[in-house]
Amino acid sequence: MIKRSRWTKFRESEGATGLLMLSPTALYAILMLAAPLGTIILYSFLTDGYLEIIRDFTMANYIEAWTNDLYRSVMIRSLGVSMSVTFVTVVLAFPIAYFVSFHVEPSKKSLWLFLITIPFWTSYLIRVFLWKVILGYNGVVNSGLMGVGIIDEPLTFILYNVNSVVITLAHAYAPFAILPIFVALEKIDRSLLEAGQDLGESKFVTFCRVTLPLAMPGVVASVLIVFIPTIGDYVTPQLVGGPEGRMVANLIQLQYLKLDNYPLGSAIAVSAMGIVTLVSLVFLALTRRYLKGPKG
Amino acid sequence: MIAFQDVHKYYGDYHALRGITATIRAGEFFSLLGPSGCGKTTLLRTIAGFEGISSGAVMIDGKNMAGVPANKRPTNMVFQSYAIFPHLTVAENVGFGLRRAGLSKDEMAKRVGDALEMVGLAGYGARAAHALSGGQRQRVALARALILKPKVLLLDEPLSALDKKMREQMQVELIRLQRQVGITFILVTHDQEEALVMSDRIAVMFEGEIAQLADPETLYRRPSSRRVADFIGTMNFLPAKILSEAGGKIEVEAEGFGRATVEADQAPGAASGDGAAVGFRPETLTILFEGQQATDREATAVIEEVVYFGDMTYYDVRLDGAKTSTRISMRNVFGRPVLEIGAKTRISWSPGALVLFR
Amino acid sequence: MKGGWFKVYALAYLLFLYAPIIILPMFAFNDATVIAFPLSGFSTRWFDEMMQAPALRIALKNSLIIAVSAAVISTTLGIFAARATTRYRFPAKAGIMGLIMLPLVLPEIIVAVSLLVVLLGLGVNLSIFTVILGHVLICTPFTIAILSSAFQSLDQSLEEAAYDLGESGPSTFRLIILPLVMPGIISSLLISFTISLDEFIIAFFLAGTEPTLPVYIFSQFRFPSSVPVIMALGTVLVCLSILLLTIAEYFRRRGIAKSGGKDTGGFL
Repeated sequence: MIKRSRWTKFRESEGATGLLMLSPTALYAILMLAAPLGTIILYSFLTDGYLEIIRDFTMANYIEAWTNDLYRSVMIRSLGVSMSVTFVTVVLAFPIAYFVSFHVEPSKKSLWLFLITIPFWTSYLIRVFLWKVILGYNGVVNSGLMGVGIIDEPLTFILYNVNSVVITLAHAYAPFAILPIFVALEKIDRSLLEAGQDLGESKFVTFCRVTLPLAMPGVVASVLIVFIPTIGDYVTPQLVGGPEGRMVANLIQLQYLKLDNYPLGSAIAVSAMGIVTLVSLVFLALTRRYLKGPKG
Repeated sequence: MIAFQDVHKYYGDYHALRGITATIRAGEFFSLLGPSGCGKTTLLRTIAGFEGISSGAVMIDGKNMAGVPANKRPTNMVFQSYAIFPHLTVAENVGFGLRRAGLSKDEMAKRVGDALEMVGLAGYGARAAHALSGGQRQRVALARALILKPKVLLLDEPLSALDKKMREQMQVELIRLQRQVGITFILVTHDQEEALVMSDRIAVMFEGEIAQLADPETLYRRPSSRRVADFIGTMNFLPAKILSEAGGKIEVEAEGFGRATVEADQAPGAASGDGAAVGFRPETLTILFEGQQATDREATAVIEEVVYFGDMTYYDVRLDGAKTSTRISMRNVFGRPVLEIGAKTRISWSPGALVLFR
Repeated sequence: MKGGWFKVYALAYLLFLYAPIIILPMFAFNDATVIAFPLSGFSTRWFDEMMQAPALRIALKNSLIIAVSAAVISTTLGIFAARATTRYRFPAKAGIMGLIMLPLVLPEIIVAVSLLVVLLGLGVNLSIFTVILGHVLICTPFTIAILSSAFQSLDQSLEEAAYDLGESGPSTFRLIILPLVMPGIISSLLISFTISLDEFIIAFFLAGTEPTLPVYIFSQFRFPSSVPVIMALGTVLVCLSILLLTIAEYFRRRGIAKSGGKDTGGFL
């Protein structure tokens, strides 16, 4: 047998071809994503001079971001909003995913998924604005409820506060929550459910003991896929949140575009990402036992 | 025609082909037979040029194929999945390889027509490829590969996707086709029956090595190892002891059989040693009727299990003095009763039935 | 019956999802400046006004240039990545793909500010070009998702068969792979076009003095009198997106049917 170096082995391999083929896309992601992310992490440790960034290493931005009451309350509120949105979205989404997967004829499943995804792709800004119209003082909800006589004067707690932000975001991220759960449900072998009932369990118990645990990977995926981006949403709090609905993204935008304080803006952004990552990891650790088992 | 010279192939650290040396003759129907993962498909793909080799040489017509890409080799392949181009018609599929030949439109149509006729699909040219049945796809794949008049046709498990009946029909048709075109066919299969039916010669492969290369009859009657014997058909084994070796004859003491003599050619690859086993096929043993003439090759046995197959009956019998049971197949003859479990019976075996393994 | 209740819930949910889209045309055709109920009458004047707004026309032109460029570039990058990941195995694949797909979950504002910082740091002037850079980044994961399923349903032995029949690598790509993944490519172009056309935050940060359509729309929200025109514009955009998405879905399904695969559902 001929002695062959590792490098020769690799060069001859298909792996080298694959890596080469991926390199344009990878390079783009490194230059346009990894490097910029690295840069804001770097910036977050620098000092803000009025016209330029001073290259002094400092923790001051983080101290400011974590101790200033304003920043801290916005951060906590963002986290709270994100969690509520995630909870509402996923809880509302599960029955839909279940319905499409278990009660819709196979030939019509694509159509349902298509119907569910369409609103997601259509003008985000205008959709958010229309929630303002729906929830507003003279909006659809108020005029509807007053018309039927349930209320005498318009509800005001549904616009320009955290509630309206949660409703609007829950609407925006609905497909994101439905699709992963749907995929997980589709993978469940239907004979398992029959086996569950065959072994004497009721439909409900079968659902709890078989369907739900098997759907967990999808639920976990949809929790993360909703939770992570919502915390950085800018448009919704800006348009429907009012002063008490502001979130982290509005703060970041303020620091960057209005106050020109890049280091503090970066520190807030990095902190927010750090918190999100931490919460996600804790969540993954808590649900880990559901994610084990056969991969597929 | 095709020669492998000490071919090795590694995937990373995995040693897929371990020193293959063999020659395939021109015009031969040759099969690579083995369980999945034995390297048979890899070996076939080194001929086609889809897999490079790590060391050694693959020669076609005396020419080393190293560095010759698949599209420049005088081989064509029928894929396991048939690989019919789904966006083209049947005729476009069959004529695909002629694109570079610079033929006139008429000539092209004629060649495609001939090829389709050869595989029994005359008149199917205009059909969409994705509308074909499994058997028809198989024929299109054959026509497409043969239209280029390759020196070698490579067939990668071509019948595995068909149902049993269709498979048997295509086996016969492939043999006919091979005789008609007269080129070398190399078939990869894991189905020993298919290999025995179709091939002139078979290479049995295990773990990247050729365990035995022979014609079907030799392979069946004189397998070179217990493993080959086990893989091809059914073979019974009983422990045996070698008593003496002289003049091309070996005297053994075998469980259930007592003393027996085997010819040296019944002990392929044998060298002297104490522990051994005799192997024999189910059909080489016969249950003797009452009153049937006994021979000197006779033993007694108890019937332990009976499986009725219509034309055949399988009996699992325990030869007196044997620790394990032995399977015997008997052709059912009208008027002769099927024996029952627990019956005592006499057994005889045909000369040359026993094969000695070390 | 159990399924019946599910169906009622599902229809209510769809109503929730479509509520804004249903209300949108009501105000677009409403003959009043104030966006509130009750409606006061049918009118197409907001559409006429929309046609005459010069700033809108500029924003539209910018958006179209950006969306077309982002669609073409991200689909090209997507083809490379989808082909590489579906066909080859190589070290660090999961890590690299994780980075490339990251914008799928990363809040867009983070992408926007980090690009802003780097581009300004390098002295690049903000323009249509910088928006394209950002949009390619967020569109690429979607193109990869769509194209991967197109490449995945492609049987590798089809390529080998073409190669075996005497074609070279490039001609195999042209004659076999390209026609079979073409529906996926068209679908990917349409989807990334739609995403880019609709994207706001990155454009907001990176467009400088060249606003895109969403940036223009956002700026108009501050003036109540221009909101009805935006409703009209929104109606047109929604119709356009639905049309593009329907075409994209048609091609995606046709692609799967063509290569003999099974439909496994939506875009994501």
